[in-house]
Amino acid sequence: MLLFHSISAAFLACASLAAADDFRRNASPLLQKFCYECHDQDRQKGGVEVHHLTDTDSALSHHRFLENIAHQVESGDMPPEDDVDVLPTPAERSQLVHEIQAVLRKLKSGDFPRNPGRTTIRRLNRNEYNYTIRDLFGVNFQAGREFPADGAGGEGFDNVGDSLFIPPILMEKYFEASRKVIESIYATPATLNRALVSKPGKSLTPNAAARNTLNYHASLAFRRRVTDSDLAAMLKLFDSNLAAGKSYEDSIRAPLQALLLHPAFLFRIENDVPGQSEWRISEFELATRLSYFLWSSMPDRRLFKLADEGKLSTPAILAAEVDRLLADPRSEAISRHFAGQWLGFEELREVAEPDATRFPTFTPTLRSAMYLESVAFFNHIIRDNRPVTDLIQSDYTFVNAELAKHYNFPAVQGSQLQKIQLKDPNRGGIIGHASILTSTSVPLRTSPVKRGKWILDTLLGTPPPPPPPDAGELPADDQSAAGLSFREQLELHRQKPSCAGCHEKIDPLGFGLENFDAIGRWRDTDANGKPVDSLAVLPGDISFSSPAELKALLLSADELFLRNLVRKMLGYSLGRPLEYYDEPVISELVDELRANQLQIRPLIHAIIRSAPFQNRSKTR
Amino acid sequence: MSNISSNRWLLDRRMMLRGIGATLALPMLDAMRPLLAASSSASNFPVRLAMLYMPNGVRENRWTPDGSGSRFKLSPILSPLEAHRDDLLILTGLQNKASFSGDGHYVKTGGWLTGTTISKTTGSDINAGGMSMDQIAANQIGRTTKIPSLELGTEPVATGIDTNVNYTRLYASHISWKTPTVPLPCENNPRVAFDRLFRTRSNSGEKQAADQQSVLDLVRDDARRLQSKLGQDDRQKLDQYLESIREVERRIEQEANSLGAGENLAPEIAASMDALDKRISSAMGKASREEELSALPRFNHAEHSRIMLDLMVLALWSDTTRVSTFMFGNDVTNRNFSFIDGVNGGHHSISHHQNIPGQLDQYEKINTWHAQQYAYMLGQMKAIKEGDGTLLDHSMVAFGSPIRDGNSHNPRNVPIVVAGNANGQIRTGRHLEFDSGTPLCSLWISMLEKAGVKTPKLADADSGLRGV
Repeated sequence: MLLFHSISAAFLACASLAAADDFRRNASPLLQKFCYECHDQDRQKGGVEVHHLTDTDSALSHHRFLENIAHQVESGDMPPEDDVDVLPTPAERSQLVHEIQAVLRKLKSGDFPRNPGRTTIRRLNRNEYNYTIRDLFGVNFQAGREFPADGAGGEGFDNVGDSLFIPPILMEKYFEASRKVIESIYATPATLNRALVSKPGKSLTPNAAARNTLNYHASLAFRRRVTDSDLAAMLKLFDSNLAAGKSYEDSIRAPLQALLLHPAFLFRIENDVPGQSEWRISEFELATRLSYFLWSSMPDRRLFKLADEGKLSTPAILAAEVDRLLADPRSEAISRHFAGQWLGFEELREVAEPDATRFPTFTPTLRSAMYLESVAFFNHIIRDNRPVTDLIQSDYTFVNAELAKHYNFPAVQGSQLQKIQLKDPNRGGIIGHASILTSTSVPLRTSPVKRGKWILDTLLGTPPPPPPPDAGELPADDQSAAGLSFREQLELHRQKPSCAGCHEKIDPLGFGLENFDAIGRWRDTDANGKPVDSLAVLPGDISFSSPAELKALLLSADELFLRNLVRKMLGYSLGRPLEYYDEPVISELVDELRANQLQIRPLIHAIIRSAPFQNRSKTR
Repeated sequence: MSNISSNRWLLDRRMMLRGIGATLALPMLDAMRPLLAASSSASNFPVRLAMLYMPNGVRENRWTPDGSGSRFKLSPILSPLEAHRDDLLILTGLQNKASFSGDGHYVKTGGWLTGTTISKTTGSDINAGGMSMDQIAANQIGRTTKIPSLELGTEPVATGIDTNVNYTRLYASHISWKTPTVPLPCENNPRVAFDRLFRTRSNSGEKQAADQQSVLDLVRDDARRLQSKLGQDDRQKLDQYLESIREVERRIEQEANSLGAGENLAPEIAASMDALDKRISSAMGKASREEELSALPRFNHAEHSRIMLDLMVLALWSDTTRVSTFMFGNDVTNRNFSFIDGVNGGHHSISHHQNIPGQLDQYEKINTWHAQQYAYMLGQMKAIKEGDGTLLDHSMVAFGSPIRDGNSHNPRNVPIVVAGNANGQIRTGRHLEFDSGTPLCSLWISMLEKAGVKTPKLADADSGLRGV
């Protein structure tokens, strides 16, 4: 079996090398001849560069634009007639497209040496730090609230090792936080008693008691069994404090504080296995990946116990644990941090800034209710194992009194959110959430372009290319006393040939949502009192004129949406950018979703079972 | 500095310890000057360096002054600086060539102070290509102050990936690069910044410090032990960790020194701190200091910016740091500027003006608003007397944007002005015009040199600017 495996791997490697020649021989020269002028390293027109597509391997690693390139070349949109001296012949076009298609097929089928990937060690981000401190010592304060925000990497999340830095200001704050946490543990005899799990006594020397206590806390903090060499420095410090005449409690204080500043605590370290090119991660590493994926926090006692016994990776046990973790309230972290960053309702909390004069009802409490609606909604999809297409259309949502009033729903009591049935098919799904509708608007008006782009980019994973630099913008305000309606201005604007190509695909999607104003309320008339024109026509004569019809359209062709959802969730779970070798995994996960009526839990299970989640490679 | 510690009798101790700021690093106090070593008076004041970043460019034909040399007329955008005309050096014709390729924003902002090209990435290999000039300065003149440099802003780090152009938005929120791969985030909460800089950190004495040092020793040794087992990328992360541990140690040491030196604090600085402390609370409008610390700063943008600038002035005045940067906003910010009369909409939207007169007017108003805040800061610095001059006389405060026209993302002839004469080293009150294509980095080299930092070469520049 092993022999067969290595033979087939060698065969695959050969196949890939042979194909490499094909792309190098047949495609690269054409790219160089017709495309470099605008799409090389220096120019990158439209954000696209093709100079690194020199052979099959490089085409695989830079696969993101391939489909688009093939499409543009096939349709004749590229190269643009005006910009090149000689156009490719039909034969050259089909040759290039053929080679790109071959690479794309390879990507989907996984017909190349597979790699589970390698995640750079991840510093706990701000949220993970807060949750971890809470679960480690039961300290109930936001220890990391003063930390600077973390930037995003990979598939757009703030849990990617490569883009998590540790600048001095953050270390200062870790240091300060560690002092405060220890202070609060030492503040009352009861909390201190709980923390000092072992105390010196008749048959227990202070050193032995300290070893017990530190062993316990260090194992939890480092998320693995600690070794003598892990404890050596801490015990040495304890001993020297004791020798200086301090009490047991005072002597162990600094070592405990050091735990919270320790690299093995602040970073999620995964060990390499010497001599191997890839390997299964350890049981403890699996427990840690699992808990940070589903809880954004450390493993609990049960996960540690199973890992310690070597049982966690047993498929049936692992599956039961996934369900247990999902049933725990801590799993709300997925909604807040995964869905919040992917779908963009996190942005509502920090960035969105509707004009206070134009929209006086947009209060801080309404802002918060909008955010929480989306959190509760995504959470419900997980709790009730709903189909992921609920994100596009659903007959329920979550509101409190203020939000119900905002939506003009029947009255609901109180500030707590509650689930309600929706009768209006226009409102259902995350597309009808005020959080999304507000964060895709500009301060004074709606933005059909931003909303259209949100659907294409965020929801479907097919971002339109950037506008040319001088494309210009529409008026910031849609209130005008006379003249053209805002939509008419937009239509006029995109008559420019350089704009029309993209905007005829972007804007109609936004037009379909024009019945929602800039803070997500339903409206029948626009800012100038004219009836809202939500009729939209996409290329290919696909027309719709209401949010409900737009959503039906999106549901009728769900492949892009599913693939994008899978890509985002896999990227979030791994905390690294996805590579070409992850593409076949994505295909398999989409199949898994389809085989399970699109329910979300089987997807989460399948991600956790997948090779990249359970393995690690020596190279990226 | 040891000469100061023996002379604390000069200052009123009760005054020193009143309220906050008891452990503030030693300021250059007028009260101490007679006792300082007998060197020339000007050199007793260190040169301070501040870099103010304005996002989204300017209305291009309303920035450059008419006329050159000392005979120039301020442009409409710079008109709020009239009172400071003689303190200004306005520079025309500079550019950062390395920022021409890539996209319209991230490359420009990420490389503003480095003069390099940032790597195009959604996050896996974030790299500015070089160190930023403020950090080059901090490495040398920031060694003896409480913190080597101070990074301030008004907006949180921009999250997510810009899938249009395939850059992580992280680049839009950072101009300071400690190393090519370590961006320094801006603090945007004034309460957090204030407490970090000025509030007494610990009420216990040296014992506590010894205890804390032992914690740092321990984790440093363990980090080295762990590091040896890791792969290359992972090892780099621990390098950052170790470097940051060193910085924290240095800071503790500086604080211990200032404690040992008698907790000197000039009365006027203490009063200024008290006032700013109260102003922050009143601007943030929260029930408690605790709430302020965890709040997203969301209040009047003008007051927010001014408070951050005042924090910077106070930090420079008290010699808490000598190097600081400030970002009025992240690049591509679409902050709603409708609070200005005649402006309706977000900053980035308006910057893409399409040459429509009404849009251009709004754009200019936003640019001018930024110049007003800059003028405010210069006014504050001039009101602070240091020896025979003012704080501004002992500083260089630059203000500019890495693109000129925001509509076309034009990176040529970037808008940039410097105020302050760095202890008489710069002849200000001039508008200098350079051949187009002159590296912006030549200005950075000149500024570094006047701050006492020799930098023979920086990115595309191998000399300072002629005539500066």
